[in-house]
Amino acid sequence: MKNRSLAFWLFLTPVILGLGIVVVIPFIYGFIYSFTNWNGLTATEFLGFQNYINLFQEDEFMQSIWFTIKFAVVTVLLLNVFGMALALIVTRNIKSNNLLRTVFFMPNLIGGLILGFIWQFIFISVFGDIANLTGIEGLNGWLSTTNTGFWGLVILTAWQMAGYIMIIYIAYLENIPKDLIEAAKIDGASSFQRFKNITFPLVAPAFTISMFLTLSMSFKIYDQNLSLTNGGPFNSTQMVSMEIVRTAFSDNQMAYAQAKAVIFFLIVAVVALTQVYYNKKREVEM
Amino acid sequence: MKGKKFYSGIATALLASSIALTGCSFSSGDSGGDSEGEEASGDAVTVDVFQFKVEFKDQFEELVSMYEEENPDVNINVKTVGGGNDYGASLKTSFSSGEEPDIFNVGGPTSVDEYEKYLADLSDTEAAGAALEGTLTSVKRDDQILGLPFNQEGYGLLYNKKVFEEAGINPDEIKTMDDLEGAVETLNSKKDELGIKAPFAFPAKEKWVMGNHLANAYLADEFNHDVMEAYEADTVEFAMGDQMKRFTDLQNDNSIQPTLSLDYSQQVEEHFSLGNVAMIQQGNWVYNTIASMDEEFAQNNVGLLPIPVEGYEGSIPVGVPNYWVVNKESGEEVVQASKDFLDWMYTSDTGKKFVTEEFKFIPAYEGYEDQEIADPISQEIYNYAKEGNTLGWVFLGAPTAWTEDALGVAMQEYIAGDITWEEVEQQATKAWEDARQ
Repeated sequence: MKNRSLAFWLFLTPVILGLGIVVVIPFIYGFIYSFTNWNGLTATEFLGFQNYINLFQEDEFMQSIWFTIKFAVVTVLLLNVFGMALALIVTRNIKSNNLLRTVFFMPNLIGGLILGFIWQFIFISVFGDIANLTGIEGLNGWLSTTNTGFWGLVILTAWQMAGYIMIIYIAYLENIPKDLIEAAKIDGASSFQRFKNITFPLVAPAFTISMFLTLSMSFKIYDQNLSLTNGGPFNSTQMVSMEIVRTAFSDNQMAYAQAKAVIFFLIVAVVALTQVYYNKKREVEM
Repeated sequence: MKGKKFYSGIATALLASSIALTGCSFSSGDSGGDSEGEEASGDAVTVDVFQFKVEFKDQFEELVSMYEEENPDVNINVKTVGGGNDYGASLKTSFSSGEEPDIFNVGGPTSVDEYEKYLADLSDTEAAGAALEGTLTSVKRDDQILGLPFNQEGYGLLYNKKVFEEAGINPDEIKTMDDLEGAVETLNSKKDELGIKAPFAFPAKEKWVMGNHLANAYLADEFNHDVMEAYEADTVEFAMGDQMKRFTDLQNDNSIQPTLSLDYSQQVEEHFSLGNVAMIQQGNWVYNTIASMDEEFAQNNVGLLPIPVEGYEGSIPVGVPNYWVVNKESGEEVVQASKDFLDWMYTSDTGKKFVTEEFKFIPAYEGYEDQEIADPISQEIYNYAKEGNTLGWVFLGAPTAWTEDALGVAMQEYIAGDITWEEVEQQATKAWEDARQ
């Protein structure tokens, strides 16, 4: 047995080393720096919790957290609903199944930056033209107000990621034993009942994974935010990661930004772990 | 049990081989490093340049290889990292990781202070002597000159000459705000005949267009056109705030709407280059972009109007956006070689020709009288600068990120109708004072 555990650890060494060097050590460094006045070159003073106290009093940071939470709630809901719906469509026995899967997954292959610019064009120019043709006022001036900026980001993210979440649901949907469904059919369950009482509980693990992915992703979103609205107008559509990057690189307050990043990490970790814990409890074993 | 032994056998074997391989790669890495080291340590001096101007990377590298040919004992390595924020971050990274460049770039007085302990005194260079008056203010510390200006840049209202002609507006007669408002009115009334959608394209999405450039025109006087005065100021008064408001309103009300989602590339490429608007507030840096859309238009059809500022009619803001600096910790030999290279670039005949023709710079040095300045916008700006009709670039002396994140954001809120102009000034003043406490 000793032999085995030695081999086990030896096998793990490269990964642990890699993880340590690029994730753990920088993380610890960052944590330490967040207590100083580090400006990227030198840290001259140890500030204790001053950075942390300051950031809770900063309107802009709190506002970006609030904006991110709103965004996360809406996108997580939409993504899972759309992902599930798409998965249900493509697991039916229709002819164009494979084509549809490819098409739905495709947006995910385009980088977030490019997508942002494409959607910017759609929201501003295409929507504008449609508004001019049809006279629908609501399509004018997208991205120039906080609200349209918010929904622009939501639409973009839902469109991009729904295909990815769909893949996860497909994998679980296809694993549901056909005999269960058939038995239910024979017992006279309607298709809604079959979905509610058989399909849904059996894809619960997929739900856990998808929730975790969408949640952490919608919290950490950056490139779409950057290219679609760039925080505008007046930094009101600025999400936390963007706020942190800006504090670090344009305001030049590296340590302060690091403190914000630590808080951000804690929020994401707590939210994601709680969520996994509760969803895990709900899963059923087959 | 047998199986387990088998696997651990494989593991040991794999591990052993991987260690052996790692050993290999280390040793080969070492020998590679050695041979490189020997090459460089011959008689040659190696100078590492770390610069940010992506736009002239190819031309700059060409100039460098010309220099290397003339001076075989100098090796120059150029590393270019894309504009703005990224450059600052990578520069920091290279300093904290110990791979400090020998020549690099700094922007305003803030970054001069930040890197001050690394910066060599360049006052003994020929280029420093030739630098135009006022271009060295933000790099002067005590008696030392810590940097050499890249070039000059200037901005104003770029206008479409053809549209102005057809509308019967004489650009030479536009001096004051009233004149400009009159011209805008004329343009508005003839919109359909002229084939324009609006007189202006005002990119309120770009905080720098408002917070840096627009505001600078009206703040320069307050700080006596001296970037260092702004850098040391405890507060900002907005003495010309009324005019600033009037000019912002004029551009915003007569622009393609909605302005808050209008960005720089729409402004320059879509609207100005394609003739949708008559005027934009931009500077000489847009020339290449316009030329890539419509070469002929860029060459013959773009004129420059000064921003109307009371007391400074007919002046445009001209300044130095960036400086070359030399790292004094690189060793005497390297510092000297760096200085020689910078001198050569800005004062030798080959260098001068390259700077104007290939880099398309507006030179910040004397002795360029016989050189031709590449594009018409730069030419006009150089003329203003030569005649001394300039306003200072004081925005580089504002507190870090103040221009964009305090003033720019406040102006966006004003345009969105959320706050009044008085509140813009109050917010911006407060942010300035907080930063300078």
